[in-house]
Amino acid sequence: MNLSVQQFRTKAEQELLDLYTKAEKTLPGAGNPFVADLREKALATYARLGLPHRRIEAWKYTDLRAHLEDVYPLATPRGAAIGANELEAALGKAIADFSAYRLVIVEGELRDDLSDISALKDAGAVIVSLAEALESPPEWLKQTLSKAGPREDDAVFALNTALMTGGVILRLPKGLTLDKPIHLIHLDGTGDPATMVTRNVIMAEEGASATVLESYGGLGMTGLQRNAVTEIEIGDKAAIHHIKFQREAVETTHLGIWLATIGADARYDAFQVSTGALLGRNQIYVGFDGEGSSTDVSGACLMRGRQHSDTTLVVEHRVPSCVSRELFKVVLDDHARGIFQGKVIVAPDAQKTDGKQMANALLLSETAEFDSKPELEIFADDVVCGHGATSGQMDEDLLFYLESRGLPEAEARAMLIQAFVGETFECVDNEALREAFAGVSADWLGVQVE
Amino acid sequence: MLEIKNLHANVDGREILKGLDLTLPTGEVHAIMGPNGSGKSTLAYVLAGKDDYEVTEGSITWNGVDVLALAPSDRAAAGVFLAFQYPMEIPGVATMTFLRSSVNAVRKARGQEELSTPDFLRLVKEKAKTLNIDTEMLRRPLNVGFSGGEKKRNEILQMTLLEPSLCVLDETDSGLDIDALRVVADGVNALRSPERSMLVITHYQRLLDYIVPDRVHVLSDGRVARSGGPELALELEKSGYAGFGDEATAA
Repeated sequence: MNLSVQQFRTKAEQELLDLYTKAEKTLPGAGNPFVADLREKALATYARLGLPHRRIEAWKYTDLRAHLEDVYPLATPRGAAIGANELEAALGKAIADFSAYRLVIVEGELRDDLSDISALKDAGAVIVSLAEALESPPEWLKQTLSKAGPREDDAVFALNTALMTGGVILRLPKGLTLDKPIHLIHLDGTGDPATMVTRNVIMAEEGASATVLESYGGLGMTGLQRNAVTEIEIGDKAAIHHIKFQREAVETTHLGIWLATIGADARYDAFQVSTGALLGRNQIYVGFDGEGSSTDVSGACLMRGRQHSDTTLVVEHRVPSCVSRELFKVVLDDHARGIFQGKVIVAPDAQKTDGKQMANALLLSETAEFDSKPELEIFADDVVCGHGATSGQMDEDLLFYLESRGLPEAEARAMLIQAFVGETFECVDNEALREAFAGVSADWLGVQVE
Repeated sequence: MLEIKNLHANVDGREILKGLDLTLPTGEVHAIMGPNGSGKSTLAYVLAGKDDYEVTEGSITWNGVDVLALAPSDRAAAGVFLAFQYPMEIPGVATMTFLRSSVNAVRKARGQEELSTPDFLRLVKEKAKTLNIDTEMLRRPLNVGFSGGEKKRNEILQMTLLEPSLCVLDETDSGLDIDALRVVADGVNALRSPERSMLVITHYQRLLDYIVPDRVHVLSDGRVARSGGPELALELEKSGYAGFGDEATAA
C-alpha cells in the first residue's frame, strides 16, 4: 500500500511560492541564466519539501509549518535614516560601538552610505553586494552557490536561494590578514511587516584570516520574517572567527543558517549569542574537507516570555585528524523554550577525530523548557567523541552569598547569569567583543551591573 | 548594640533556635561556642538573612534597626557582615569584579561615592597585602580552586573592604592550619575598634587564643545556656561540652 500522498499546502506555504512568482522578474540576477536557473531549482526543492514540521527529525522541536501563519511581502528598501542612535537602539551600545569595518544591510539592501566599503577594499578585501554579484556572478561564486549539501534538502536554505535579495559577497585573497574585524550589521526597517532574505558569502583563500561579526537588530518594524544565510569557505591554513549577535524585536521570526566548509590545517570558530526574536532557529553546518583542522562552535541564548530558540548543529568529519568542540549555554525564563541539537558525523575514513559537545541550561522559572538532543553518527573506529547536557535552576546558596555582600537581588542574579553564560564567551578570540558580550545578560535583564 | 530577644527559628520545619537571648554592646567581641547542632551556624545565617531560615518568633535589632525586616543586601549596607564557614565558589565571576561590585553596591547604599577603578585597585592591593593575599589570586574566579586558607583570607579581605559595624565570623578557624589561623586572626584583630562589634562563632577554644573575646556564650539546644568571661572558653577546653547536650564531646 502506498501511503505517500501529496501533502496539503498551508496558507503560508502557498504564500511563499506566490512571493517568488510575484518577485521573479525583479529579483537580483533575474536576467542571468545561471541565477534564474539556480532560483528555479531551489524553488522546486522548496515546493517538494514544504515548510519543515515536527515529523521531520531535525525539526522535531520547532514546527515551522505550524508557527508560520502568514507570510509578509518582500521588503522594499526605503533608505531609512540610520545614525548612531538608531544603531545603539537596535544593537545595544557595546556592539554598536564595536570598532570594525562596517557593512550595513538595511531592509535587505547593502547601504554604501553607511558602510566602509572603500576602506575594506583598500585593506585588500574584495567586496561586492549580493545584488550586484548576481547580475554577473564570477565563476567561483557560481561553484559555491551550486555545491551539494544542505541546500538540497533544507527547505529554509532552498527558500533563501530562491528569494535572496541582499547581502554581501566577500573574498579575502591569499594570505590577507585584516587589521580590524568586519561587522556585518543587519537591520530591519521602520515600515510595515516584511520578509527579508539575505545571503552572505565569505571566501577566505589560503592563509587568509579575519574576524567577522554579524549582528541583527530591530529598528522598530512591527513584524519581521528573516531568512539569513551565510556561506563560508575556509581555504587551507586560513582562519575565520565568525560571531553572531541577534537582538531582534520579539515579534520576529529569525531563520539563520551558517554553512562552513574547512580546508586543511585551517580553523573556523563560530559563536552565536541570541536574545531576540519570538521564534529563532539557528542552523550551523560545518564540514571538514582537509586534514589537521579544527572548529569551535559555541554560543549562548537568553530567552523569556514565549520566546523559542533552537540551535541545530551538524558537524561533519569527512577527513581524518580534525577537532570539533561545541559548548552552548541557554538561559530561560517564563515560558521560554530552548533547544539544542548537535549532530556529529564521523565518516569511515575520518580516523583520529576528536569531537566533544556540551549544552547547559539555566531555568529561571518552573514553566521554561529545555530540550537537548545530541546525535553521534560514528563510522570510524579510532575516534574520541563525547557529549553531555545539563539543566538546572539558579543556585540559591550562591545568590545568598552575593546578596550578603551587598549586591541587591537583581544585580546578584545578573551576575550569576552572566557567570553561567560567560564560560562560552571565552571562545571569542577578539577581546573587545568579549568585553562587549560581558554586558549581554545585564542588558537582557535590564539592570546595571558594575 | 546588637539585641537578640527570644529568637525562634526553623530550618526545614524543624525548630533550631528556641528562644535565644543575646546582647552584644558596640565595640565588644563576643564568642559563641557550643556543641554541634546547638544552633551556632543557624544564628549566623539568621543574622545575615538566608532565605530558608524562618524566624517564627522574637526580634533582632542592630543599633535600633529591625534587622529581620531587611533584605540580605540591605543588612550588608546596614553594616552586618557574615564571614562564611564555607565560602561559595562561583566559576565565571572574577574575584576582583565581585569585590568591586560588592564594595560599590554597599557604598552606594550607604550614600557614599562609588570608588573609581584605580582607587579601588589601590585599596584592594593595600588590604590584600596585609592578609598575605597574592593579587594573582584575585584574578581567579571567586573562590574557585582556592585552598581553605585562601578562602578564609578572602572572607576577611571582603570584611575589611566592606567596613561592617557588626562582624559575624562563622567557624572561621575550621580547615585552617596554625599559620593560616594566625594570619586570619591578625586580620580580624586589625578590625577591632570601639565602633565595631564582633560575634565569633567557634567550636574550639583555639581561635580564642588569637582573637580574645570580651564575653563567651555557650549555646545548647537553641538557647544561651551559659555566659561568662574568656575563662569560660578555657574551662570548656578542659571539660568539653559535657552537660551542654553533646555526649560525643563529653565522652
